[in-house]
Amino acid sequence: MAINVKGFKDGLLRSLPLIILIYVSISEFQTQFYYWKIFSFNLQFIIIYYWVLRDPSILGYGFIFLCGLINDVVLSLNLGTSPLSYLFVSLVAAYIRAATVRSTLISDWFTFVIAVMGGNFITFILIKNFSDVGVTYADLFYNSLFTFILYPVFWFIFELYKRGISLRLYD
Amino acid sequence: MATSRDDFGIAIRSALLQSGAKQKFSLFVLIIASALVFALDNLELKPIKALRSVINDGVYRLSAISSSPISFASASKSFLSNHFNIYRENEELKKKIELLEKDRFDTLYLQTENNQLQEVLELDKTTSYSTVGAKIMLDKNSPYLNSVVINKGSNVGIKLGMPVLNKGNLVGRIVEVNYISSRILLLNDLNSKIPAVISPSGEQAILSGIGQKNPTLEYLPDGFQNVDDLTVYTSGKDGVLFPGISIGKIIRDEDDESEEGRIRVKLFSDPTQVLYVNVVLDKSNDEEAK
Repeated sequence: MAINVKGFKDGLLRSLPLIILIYVSISEFQTQFYYWKIFSFNLQFIIIYYWVLRDPSILGYGFIFLCGLINDVVLSLNLGTSPLSYLFVSLVAAYIRAATVRSTLISDWFTFVIAVMGGNFITFILIKNFSDVGVTYADLFYNSLFTFILYPVFWFIFELYKRGISLRLYD
Repeated sequence: MATSRDDFGIAIRSALLQSGAKQKFSLFVLIIASALVFALDNLELKPIKALRSVINDGVYRLSAISSSPISFASASKSFLSNHFNIYRENEELKKKIELLEKDRFDTLYLQTENNQLQEVLELDKTTSYSTVGAKIMLDKNSPYLNSVVINKGSNVGIKLGMPVLNKGNLVGRIVEVNYISSRILLLNDLNSKIPAVISPSGEQAILSGIGQKNPTLEYLPDGFQNVDDLTVYTSGKDGVLFPGISIGKIIRDEDDESEEGRIRVKLFSDPTQVLYVNVVLDKSNDEEAK
């Protein structure tokens, strides 16, 4: 019984990034702060990129696809827009994982530029060509910029968390 | 050179096609699935529209439930800040009541005069609206759309394009209707364009959202004078919105912090603070509205 409780706790702890990703996609949690005008960032991109790159067993591609669909419904975008951009971010992360032997914060951070720019570019192209929603270039640019700038902050938080769960598993 | 190209090919193939024990689906399959979903959604076929409407209703409900802790925290913050401001607010309200008392007599006189003039001109007296009340279920800003979701849909007769009021002031219009939920495009959204009239000068303009808190007025006549106390109402020129719905006040040049040379409108109902709204279903005569 004690083992089961520990197993459940460990499972829950390992699923935390996935739970956060689903929660951010489905809830009112806002990563755009209205009164700061230009400040907004894409937390989903950061979570997806970090976990696909560092520990893909924690975040399944199927769930990433599902979160994208939920995000499209909540933001009233055409279904499939966010999954395509999220899967592009996953593709970049998976490629970097396959191509590099040892990843560091700096290498992760700079390759993240391709993921963010590409992800937002896909969203922008799909919205611009297939929907009536108007998008401002500047807003998307600031969104990409702040997502890039904030990546190291979340990198450290996720590294600490990852170390915490691996210590628990070997406990 | 050939080796580096081979390495790239191997890495990209591995990234795209590998599934195995850790991943149930490969990225390639999911990218194809996303493209398929996107294409189907764009086809706008009737069964797909109905399916999307059901998905929307379900996700909005789930979203409202999962957002309740955030909504509770936001409501608590608002309650506390209101509580601490009560004394100052009370003093301000006393002054306002005095002013309103004076204005009431002027209004009564103008109302009588207006009725008499309408009789002379034989105008349609349908000035009230039949509305349906709704609660904001979901309020999530995005870089793409400033919109909110309400808990009423086609089940109570809501249709696309209907105006939405908060405390009698326009806040937006319906842009998506599901069976038990609808989406309102707020006035400050980039995609919002509303024909407006400025009172008392009577100049026509288009109220245009720019993705920021205060929308702007476009297509104003040359030589427009931004003076005190200019109020903006809907003009009803699009034939969709009813004329005479109050929107907001024009911000005077010296109060405008944006310094972009735009004529901005401070909305009577702050879109970020709206909790309950009324969707205008139709015009009704005064008796029905009562």
